[in-house]
Amino acid sequence: MTTKITKTEIGAAALAGALATALTLVSATASAQTMGGDKAGKEKCYGVSLKGENDCAAGAGTSCAGSSKVDYDGSIWKYVPKGTCETIKTPQGTGSLKPVKS
Amino acid sequence: MPHALQAEFATVLRDPALPLPTSVISHTSRTPQKRFAVYRNNVMVGLIGALESRFPATRRIVGDEFFAAAARVFASTQPPRSPLMMTYGDEFPDFLASFEPAAEIAYLADVAGLEAARTRAYHAADAAPLEPAAFSQIDADRLADLCIVLHPSVEIIRSQFPIVVIWAMNAGDMELGPVADWRGDDALVARPALDVEVRRLPPGAAAFLQSLSADAPLGTAAESAAASDPAFDLAVNLAALFSAGLAISATHRP
Repeated sequence: MTTKITKTEIGAAALAGALATALTLVSATASAQTMGGDKAGKEKCYGVSLKGENDCAAGAGTSCAGSSKVDYDGSIWKYVPKGTCETIKTPQGTGSLKPVKS
Repeated sequence: MPHALQAEFATVLRDPALPLPTSVISHTSRTPQKRFAVYRNNVMVGLIGALESRFPATRRIVGDEFFAAAARVFASTQPPRSPLMMTYGDEFPDFLASFEPAAEIAYLADVAGLEAARTRAYHAADAAPLEPAAFSQIDADRLADLCIVLHPSVEIIRSQFPIVVIWAMNAGDMELGPVADWRGDDALVARPALDVEVRRLPPGAAAFLQSLSADAPLGTAAESAAASDPAFDLAVNLAALFSAGLAISATHRP
């Protein structure tokens, strides 16, 4: 009899066991929450969507701000990105954002 | 508008250096250039605004000025193909990945990818997640052949950077601070009910979910997940699948 070299075979018993564990885990979390009836009572409400999740800002395209001819030549790319990136510190160095370079 | 005129109008709209289309005239002014410039600017401001509202965390990472400039380059080279502004910017993450001035921030494109996925999840079709109870009815001997259909909003973004934490910090969900665990994230984006949820996936889960969404049965999906990461835990993944409401149907193959 030859020994079959299988990759990572998962038997029916293991699958059933995993499912049983999973169901136990889920029911434990569900009963820990307060009945969970809250979410089911919600409904979709149109016209109140959050910024960034709505169908574009109605006002944005209608702005006349800075209506002069915009002429961005290469000089704009002298900007260094600035914002919060330097506030996030990585183990590779404080304030530096060139991570995962071992 | 005839097609040629339309094409010319659209081209001039994107490039301030080009002369006005000959067909653009004004009844009350001898210089329609100025008015056209206002219109052109409004179009650009509108597109930049659409990107700003879709990518707030990305914008916060690089700062308003940098973001607006990058968005302007994107908008002038990749104008929208659909009138639905909520879909504008699907290509923006890829653009950022090859955008030289942003190269310093290696994780930027992946964070933008996460934000793009969030908007898509928001507008994805509604579907009722399967109750965990449905799974307890399933014949245990045939579990391996079970085909699980994932919620239409589910997307996975795999990154070599801790994008979930970086996104959360810049989306205002978490305080800015040091990222202690600087490792890659597999991010899950889903909208099982009304809110878009972003989670970090456990080991092997990305392979598991991708396999399921490619119509692999449960047994095969579990095996390929275990092969992709030895730390894959099927019970934990199934529990997450149920509790996050990611499955909408589970059937045996005919």
